[in-house]
Amino acid sequence: MPELPELNPIIHGKLRLALLSLLSGVEEAEFTWLRAKTGSTDGNLGAQLLKLEEAGYASVEKKFVQRKPQSLYRLTEAGRAALTEYVVALKQLLGGAME
Amino acid sequence: MTTNAEEMELKDRLKLIESMIAEGRRTTGSWAWTFVFWGLAYYVAIGWTAYNQWPWAWLVTMGGAWLLCWAIIRWKHGCTPEKRPGTTIGRAIYATWCAMGTSMCLLLPALGFSGRFNQHVFVAVVASMLGLANGASGILLRWKAQIASAIVWWLASIAACFGTDNQCSVVFVAAIFFCQIVFGVYGMILESSARKLEAKHA
Repeated sequence: MPELPELNPIIHGKLRLALLSLLSGVEEAEFTWLRAKTGSTDGNLGAQLLKLEEAGYASVEKKFVQRKPQSLYRLTEAGRAALTEYVVALKQLLGGAME
Repeated sequence: MTTNAEEMELKDRLKLIESMIAEGRRTTGSWAWTFVFWGLAYYVAIGWTAYNQWPWAWLVTMGGAWLLCWAIIRWKHGCTPEKRPGTTIGRAIYATWCAMGTSMCLLLPALGFSGRFNQHVFVAVVASMLGLANGASGILLRWKAQIASAIVWWLASIAACFGTDNQCSVVFVAAIFFCQIVFGVYGMILESSARKLEAKHA
């Protein structure tokens, strides 16, 4: 019997998974847009984005636009690969239930 | 294998991924109004030229329309609570329209100053360029209505090479009506329904 894959625990968290999926559909996204789309609080969102950054799955660019701070997040190549692997593993785990 | 609860949880994760990717790619930014706006600007320029044959009517109207359009976009952007993220398709469409606008801004005045300008050349060039931009956008967005609009512009471009001056004017006015006004209003209706749907799901 083939061994079942393990799901990446960094991605498996619901908010982190939502963030990676959101970032996979865009080139870059502002913190405020991610907050609006996930309905998360500033603190929780910041903490989860930091975890993704530390894992090398997301990168951030901080700058000032019209004297206001702006944080732009991007999905890294490692993040895209990890998300793809996660989806493959998820589908494998679900197996026949997908049909 | 997985238990029922685990299976539900995993399916839930898969649904979350799909919905978030779709959310990121969704572009409900309102741009259809620009088609109506520029259509009306073309009509103002045509009317002004027909009224007193002033040679600078087109240049002045287009310059004024460009400034007004830029001001409205800036104002609308300032009213949005959060900036929409950039997508590759969005950048490709933006690049197509910018390149088309730059080509028109350079070529049409150059034709005017060189004295090689006439109504047929003007309509053929403008219609052909608008056909190109609409065609590229339509293919990128897989939007049949915009591809149809591009075909109308290309046909108008070909028709402008034949017939009398009056027939050329009728072709141009009709193409503006269908491809700018009618298409723009149709786009605005679609955007409005998409916004309502988005609000319902929020």
